[in-house]
Amino acid sequence: MAEESKAAVETVHITIDGIELDVPKGTRILDAAAMAGADVPHYCYHPGLTAPAQCRMCLVEIEKVPKLQPACVATVADGNVIHTQSEKALEARKGVLEFYLVNHPLDCPVCDQSGECKLQDYTAAEGRAIGRSLEPKRVLGRDDFGGDVTFYADRCVMCTRCVRFMREVAQDERLTVVQRGHRSVIDTFFDDGLDGNIWADNIVDICPVGALVSKDFLHKARAWDLDRTPSICPNCTQGCNVRLETRDNQVQRIKPRPNPEVNAHWMCDYGRLNYEWINRGARIEAPLVRGADGALQAVSWSEALTRLAAALQGSAGESRAVVSPFMANEDIGLLRRVIDSTGGGNGVYRCQTGEEVVLPGFPTLALRTDRAANVHGAELFGFGRTGGADGLGGLESVANHAGALWVLGDELADAPAGFGSAASVFVYVGHFLSPAARNAHFVLPATTFAEMEGTFTNVRKRVQRFWPALQAPGMSRPAWQILGVLLAGIGDAAPVATAADAFAVLGGVRPEFAGLAWGDLGQQGAPLGSFAEAGD
Amino acid sequence: MSAGHGRADSPPSSWPAALQNPGFAGDTGEFAALSEADVRGSAYVGERPRDGGHASVAGTLPYQVGANDGEAPIFVGEYEERLQKILSRYPDRQNALLPALHMAHEIRGYLSPATMDEVAARLELAPAYVRGVASFYTMYNLGPVGKYLIQVCTNISCNLCGGDAVFEAFLKHTGTEAGETSANGLWTVMEVECLGACGFPTAVQINERYFENIRPEDVPAVLETLQ
Amino acid sequence: MAYPYTHPKEVRVLSQYFGDPEARTLKGWEARGGYQALRKALGTPREEIVNTVKASGLRGRGGAGFPTGMKWGFMPRKVEGTPHYLICNADESEPGTFKDRELMRWTPHALVEGCVIGAYAINAEHAYIYIRGEFFEAAQVMARAIEEAYAAGYLGKNILGSGIDIDLTLHLGAGAYICGEETGLLNSLEGRRGEPRVKPPYPAISGAFGKPTAVNNVESLIAAAHIVLNGADWYKQWGTEKSVGTKLFCVSGHVKRPGNYEVPLGFNFKEFIYDVCGGTPDGRPIKAVIPGGSSVPILTADELDIGMDYEAMAAAGTMLGCGSVIVMDDTTNIVKQVRRMVDFYAHESCGQCTPCREGTAWAARILRRMEQGRGVPDDIDTLLAISENMSGRTICVLSDAAAAPITSSIEKFRADYDALMAPEPGLVGAGLTGAAHGSVR
Repeated sequence: MAEESKAAVETVHITIDGIELDVPKGTRILDAAAMAGADVPHYCYHPGLTAPAQCRMCLVEIEKVPKLQPACVATVADGNVIHTQSEKALEARKGVLEFYLVNHPLDCPVCDQSGECKLQDYTAAEGRAIGRSLEPKRVLGRDDFGGDVTFYADRCVMCTRCVRFMREVAQDERLTVVQRGHRSVIDTFFDDGLDGNIWADNIVDICPVGALVSKDFLHKARAWDLDRTPSICPNCTQGCNVRLETRDNQVQRIKPRPNPEVNAHWMCDYGRLNYEWINRGARIEAPLVRGADGALQAVSWSEALTRLAAALQGSAGESRAVVSPFMANEDIGLLRRVIDSTGGGNGVYRCQTGEEVVLPGFPTLALRTDRAANVHGAELFGFGRTGGADGLGGLESVANHAGALWVLGDELADAPAGFGSAASVFVYVGHFLSPAARNAHFVLPATTFAEMEGTFTNVRKRVQRFWPALQAPGMSRPAWQILGVLLAGIGDAAPVATAADAFAVLGGVRPEFAGLAWGDLGQQGAPLGSFAEAGD
Repeated sequence: MSAGHGRADSPPSSWPAALQNPGFAGDTGEFAALSEADVRGSAYVGERPRDGGHASVAGTLPYQVGANDGEAPIFVGEYEERLQKILSRYPDRQNALLPALHMAHEIRGYLSPATMDEVAARLELAPAYVRGVASFYTMYNLGPVGKYLIQVCTNISCNLCGGDAVFEAFLKHTGTEAGETSANGLWTVMEVECLGACGFPTAVQINERYFENIRPEDVPAVLETLQ
Repeated sequence: MAYPYTHPKEVRVLSQYFGDPEARTLKGWEARGGYQALRKALGTPREEIVNTVKASGLRGRGGAGFPTGMKWGFMPRKVEGTPHYLICNADESEPGTFKDRELMRWTPHALVEGCVIGAYAINAEHAYIYIRGEFFEAAQVMARAIEEAYAAGYLGKNILGSGIDIDLTLHLGAGAYICGEETGLLNSLEGRRGEPRVKPPYPAISGAFGKPTAVNNVESLIAAAHIVLNGADWYKQWGTEKSVGTKLFCVSGHVKRPGNYEVPLGFNFKEFIYDVCGGTPDGRPIKAVIPGGSSVPILTADELDIGMDYEAMAAAGTMLGCGSVIVMDDTTNIVKQVRRMVDFYAHESCGQCTPCREGTAWAARILRRMEQGRGVPDDIDTLLAISENMSGRTICVLSDAAAAPITSSIEKFRADYDALMAPEPGLVGAGLTGAAHGSVR
């Protein structure tokens, strides 16, 4: 637990909707209301941006103050008695909502935002049932903003969150309000769109209505059909906290979830749009063992692991391994344990790299050069980098190894034909049966990060949990479970049933993990002990 | 280096010599003895140098549409000198945006996307930002207009005194639709909001000059003095 | 004298030299007693100037009527390294208003003097005059006067050897009524869209370029100069107890003698219109009068027997505003004029706040449809509901201003609206609402 700071924070005593509470001086009324459990409707305010107080949705009544005050900029004063649901406040909101719907196309049946739309939600809760306008609606049409973003101008509520995000956070001012008054509309600088800026899709997240939509997601799935699972973006070492949004056992899209220590409210387009690989089919669905006739045969787990344990006992000398940096800490750590228990050895990993792109308005967040989530986990557990910037090559040191050869998650797409043919025991723990994988003696189907619990270690040595969003295919199991059961079978290790069990093993492999308890991780992760104060 | 329209200190060549009538306010009330120059103060003002004169007033030269050359360079020679003076009067480059847009407008007649881009580059601002500012203000034309931009006030004070009829008269005698440019490129006629000359209805602004006390029957003569 | 008509009942303090072409030159101005106020001010402690203006009771002449001395008094103590700014609001755009243009083109040096005195009083070393872009000609006259003032040592470093430095910059707007709102003006001065700012913080704390700033109207600054020269008590000889001094009133519309007149505050409004301005051109009966610019509620002909001061106007349910009197005789179609005014607000709304952005446009469309004879009875209630939802809910008061002509005209000229109801309201569809001219940009 963090130490209590020596200087006491000055608080003020207020009442919101009848609830009395003490809040720090300078708190916005909107935030104070949230603390009291009252969600004040708002559009233009966003915790990651400046507050222009222009949508006028958040007007609340403060006793003894003549005019309604915008809760997003007004701060609490001692003794304030605030009403967010008084008659005056409700009337004001009803009036503002009516104004929004005068020109809004009400095209919910064809709008992606439907089901997660703040205009729907607020109007259903507090708006008028029938609009009073008899006038024709202004029609602005649809505009391609470049990149992944399409703009349906008619739906826009002019909250200007998108403009402010590009200006303040992306610090690449691509959007502006053009014209003024009722003619105003969001636009780019003519044909200069959002292309080339990898943070652009964040404006789709923060748009409260369906004005800014993702081209990738257009008309793909309805918001209410999606399951949302907290996870970690697998696509670089930043470790942005995300939600995998799934339907029909497929990832439909990835959205960021807030973590002030890692990614604030944001994520990059590279990570966000790179989810198709998680949905790849053609997975290995059962454990396969090479029979006497040289063919791979599907067997049960118990048979596969029993025969593997025997094979390992018969194998002498050191092991070699190729691991994938997309595997969890638990997967890689348990493999290190297995290797250390069977004569020792070393291994490599390959990782695609690219240019680092920092988010200027929140420099803690960057698209990192290493384009896989758990490079640092692999390094911590003693695996070294090999191969090129394309994430391929570098297998020479292991391809012809004569002892035990382990492959954990690496698809071996570029492996030479005879890869592993010299190995005494070649164990392939992975997802796809590539040609090189067919050389293995044991092919054990593992789950991806999206199908299990586990953790990644990000570039700042922060350990973060993810949860299963998809059903694991066939008989596949988390690699940490496979290896954990194996360990128990070849030695006197305790059985590993849960991810927490597997995590507990890691402390014996790397002391930094010993200082971290599974319960410390929560949904926001925690830094590895010795790295807690270190910078990047 | 001359920006390409006449002597450095002469008014734009688009503007003919000032004439007494019709349309200047000195004709009304008890001051009919005043000349147009007396009322407008043109003799007092004299010629303003294209480099802006004293830095304190460099941002306010009298030419709304001085030239109409979409290709003419903007921030060179005397105009660059003027911009430097303007920049010296504000804490930040961005503060010079409105005067810089006025200058670009003066030379090119309107603000095309390329023009906005050049102003943005010169002041090191994002082009989208410059577009947002330029499009906010009525006086920056975002498309080409005729040699004479005729802006008729039809707001309440002039409206009560026949402003709509004056507007119709301009449309008729220039042969244009509202907001469109005539075929011969001379005229663009539009309605504007209150020009701040309500005691002299109907007020009409043509390029940078006010014409006041305009009645529909005055319109042909006004157009003739311009041509 | 006022311009272009004079009247013996006027008190010509600010307008004395309207129509006098010599007065705009530096020599002419000095010959007429100009720059004595500046000399006196620079020899007086700043706090004393502020107190004098406070004591005089001068209220802002731009429309808000906020006491000028009090506004100056809000400026914080001067901290070394934190510049203060004085801004002169010359963005005269309220329909019916044309006094600042006259002040600037006839007596530009009066404004230069007022700016220097105001800047000195609030510890500012730089003053800006924000003049609306359409006033090219008045701006040229001001420019010439400023150049003359610099040359004569009334501006710049060490003014008249006093050791005081004050610079003045003339800044041209570009066509936006909302830049007459003080924080919209500040944003425009800074090279942004002229969108008003949320207050707090107030300009006295964070104004131009984020620094302490006072924004004053042209007429206020010129009046302040007179007060510094002649004293607070001198100013109190005119006006009422709470509305002190003289004011320029702009008269337009159906009057025989439109123009500017300077009379003491508290002057009887009826006498002003019928006597000073000559009543309507053909002697037709007056139908309606707007006393203070299009943003204030309309008065009927029976409501004119009141004083032209802040209190009396407020008591009559309207406002003195900027003193722009618009007279309408009985040939006037009130609905048409209200529509035109609401069109104006819809056109000039900056677009930030939802009630104003949507409400002005919606109300304008309803009024347009009614003007074309296609109104339905529900329109009246809708207009009143829109007006209520536009009032007291926004960052600035343009929204409230747009509602004023709507509510006051519905209340007092209901017959005009009823006359425009469609004969068969059921057939009013969402059809054409195009007005005669759609070219207002």
